[in-house]
Amino acid sequence: MAVRGKDRIRAKLQDGDTLVRILLAHPMHTGRGKDMQNELVPAEFIQDIRCWRNNKEVLTIKCGTATSRNPFFAFQLKGGVQGDVITLRWVDNTGAKGRVETEVQ
Amino acid sequence: MNKQFDAARRYWLKRGVSATTLAMVAASGLLLPQRLLAHWPRDAYQAKTVEDALLALLGEADMIDDDAVYFSVGSPPTYAVNGATVPVEVNTTLKNIEHIALLVEKNPSPLAMSLVPDDAVMLPFKTMLKVAEDSDMLAVIRAEGKLYVTRRYVEIDIGGCA
Repeated sequence: MAVRGKDRIRAKLQDGDTLVRILLAHPMHTGRGKDMQNELVPAEFIQDIRCWRNNKEVLTIKCGTATSRNPFFAFQLKGGVQGDVITLRWVDNTGAKGRVETEVQ
Repeated sequence: MNKQFDAARRYWLKRGVSATTLAMVAASGLLLPQRLLAHWPRDAYQAKTVEDALLALLGEADMIDDDAVYFSVGSPPTYAVNGATVPVEVNTTLKNIEHIALLVEKNPSPLAMSLVPDDAVMLPFKTMLKVAEDSDMLAVIRAEGKLYVTRRYVEIDIGGCA
């Protein structure tokens, strides 16, 4: 496995709403790509991403293989105050998991 | 003395029963990863055509080509140098969104991403997708039992290995 960077998540207030930006560190192999030795790289991609604000689930994202490497997502949440906790968990097809958490700035 | 013994017996019986149940759960726990995957609509993601994917993901519904879905692909729009990271932005005036799906028509498996947003989520939603070749992209929003579909054509310089 390649060396993993860090999953990043930023959330900040913008005109009274919360802007959330997510950058996950994941190779997102589709199972169709080849490596230097011309061998197929087995599929390894994030399938399920869930997002919570203060323990309330707000967004579920299911990804196929067509999600780009190091997936990026941005969306807004209605309202919100400083200090809200935004949590994100992901699971990939090999069962690997990740969790990131941030406070709204 | 007898009572005490009885109590102990009950205690251990209970323990034993819950232990067996636990063991059984653990054994079926082999199913756990599969159960996790079951949340992932495999049929939809492995479908080879847009129609099949939509049918598997969202079920039967009226399709409406609609301007209520704003959707931009690539930067500058309709063009992307690198197919491995094609920026996509979805916005809409629709209310009560149940489901959003992004599809790339000519990818080996067209369905790229599907979202289930809560009421609290406001669009635009931005992300990046891989696109194998010049292709139509679709944003499909399911709201109040109908599918709102918008298409955009995107040109790719270097195909992203989707």
